[in-house]
Amino acid sequence: MNPMIGKELRQRMRERRGWLLPTLYLFTLGAVVVFFYYFTTTERPSNWRGMQGFEIGTGLFFTLIYAQLSILLLLAPVFSAGAITIEKEQRTLPGLLTSLLTPLQIWWGKFFASGMFLVLLLLSSLPVLSLGFAFGGIGPGQVILATLTTLFVLATITSIGLYCSSYFRRSVHATAVTYAIIIAITAVSGIIFAILMSHWEHSQAHQAAQVAASALSRTLVPPFWVRAPLLINPYYLVTLSFGSYQDWSSDGFSCLMAFLLLFLFSFVLAVRHIRHSGEQS
Amino acid sequence: MISIRQLTKRYDGVAALDGFTLEVPAGELFGLVGPNGAGKTTLIRILATLARADSGEATVAGHDIASAPYLVRAATGYMPDVPGVYQDLTVEEFLAFFAEAFRLHGAKKRAAVSHALSWSGLEDRRNTYVEQLSLGWKQRLVLARTLLHEPTLLLLDEPATGLDPMARIHLREQLRSLNQQGVTVFLSSHILGDLEDICSRVAFIADGRNAVGADGSSVLTLGPTAHPDVLTCEIDVVENPETAAAALATFTGARLLDSRGNSLRAEISGGAPRAAELLHHLVSADVRVLRFDPRGGGLEDRYRNLFGGKPS
Repeated sequence: MNPMIGKELRQRMRERRGWLLPTLYLFTLGAVVVFFYYFTTTERPSNWRGMQGFEIGTGLFFTLIYAQLSILLLLAPVFSAGAITIEKEQRTLPGLLTSLLTPLQIWWGKFFASGMFLVLLLLSSLPVLSLGFAFGGIGPGQVILATLTTLFVLATITSIGLYCSSYFRRSVHATAVTYAIIIAITAVSGIIFAILMSHWEHSQAHQAAQVAASALSRTLVPPFWVRAPLLINPYYLVTLSFGSYQDWSSDGFSCLMAFLLLFLFSFVLAVRHIRHSGEQS
Repeated sequence: MISIRQLTKRYDGVAALDGFTLEVPAGELFGLVGPNGAGKTTLIRILATLARADSGEATVAGHDIASAPYLVRAATGYMPDVPGVYQDLTVEEFLAFFAEAFRLHGAKKRAAVSHALSWSGLEDRRNTYVEQLSLGWKQRLVLARTLLHEPTLLLLDEPATGLDPMARIHLREQLRSLNQQGVTVFLSSHILGDLEDICSRVAFIADGRNAVGADGSSVLTLGPTAHPDVLTCEIDVVENPETAAAALATFTGARLLDSRGNSLRAEISGGAPRAAELLHHLVSADVRVLRFDPRGGGLEDRYRNLFGGKPS
């Protein structure tokens, strides 16, 4: 086994956050369940039609999936962005670089240890996600699919975090830039999509005044150039994984490729930086 | 063991090494001396394959550092000027990790860790967390780490920095013992007394180049094998230093370097026999000599002559 993995896991599980973060994470997801159940089942005097069980189950499941993704996107840089900078800060990197460990082994040890912690969080939340089974509308396949998609997103974020960690000297800088990238691929890509969508809708409305409604019905799905910013959006990828086959074949594959490219690009650059980090450490 | 030819390294256009050349045979305990910023750390980092030279060649243990860094790492143990440790591992875990990092597994790993623990005197502290060790013990731990894979060459950058006197004495003994076991040691240090005590030879470096002395050499031989012709004598007299200075002036081959209170420093040509004659001459001139200490153009003198005008 790669010796980095054993060392990393040992060190990480000895930190206070090793037990504190999973505890807080599960408490937060539990709170999401309680709030969702309370707000969807509490009888309201106006406009109350009553919800079917499967509607509650599906709604709860999707709420949990997005909540889980949001929390893990916040946590992922905590584990990855400081992984290599901490070796620079505590001056242990020269010891690793002058051993017989290769830069790839160092990267893999860091990636595995960071990823394992996120996998631990994901697995620990499976019972919470499975609460949807009690109400119906959700099957094990969807839970597994959601977990795998989230895992893929987190692997990419971890790879980006490790790249930042290999590039910067200090953890605070690497973490800040990783969060900035996460904001860019979630919020900024969403905002750009919203702007393009608004522009497109405006142009569609303008056309509607001139052409027959029947012709418009063919263009209800926004064109690719409008959807393009969403291809790097983690929420879009997770949403697509529950869509129909048509949704998946149109954007799902492109989205998957975009994340894969981000992962590989970050990986190659990170290994390169580790190889040359002896010059600066 | 180490062969360096015209090594050059620049950082942002500034030369850290500028054509440095040196040969260190196997089995030596070799020192590297120079003021701050002379290029000592850069040289050792390049030899340890951490940094790449811009030009020039170097081989370590017969392997080219540029084309075979992996083989160089397998043959060397490197200790940086500020050695980092994993504070949250125990001493044994720390050593076991590095043993695995040097491809030692199973019985070999256990034997290497056990030997490193007993060699460094850390056996009783094997389950102690590294953060609980003093600086001296941490230094021993890092030195033990560099020896796990039984390297034939040790590259040590300022290994005695921050150590208390006892820890320094222990470090010197350890290095001497390793050298007697056949390990070549190449170390840089600002503590000239330590280098003088343990090194067989010392190279001088300044501004990334070989610092050449008046004798045309950039390497000084130390210890009992050195038989310098020119000696520096430190002379303490009970009274009348002027009389001593006058007596010195009349002795052929002697030259007064400086005088402070009842202490004089003089240079004498002709080696130890002439130094003995000088002592006799002083006593004959009714100078009451309290201390007469002829040193073989020591490291400190050589250092002062080379770098005296350069504040570091």
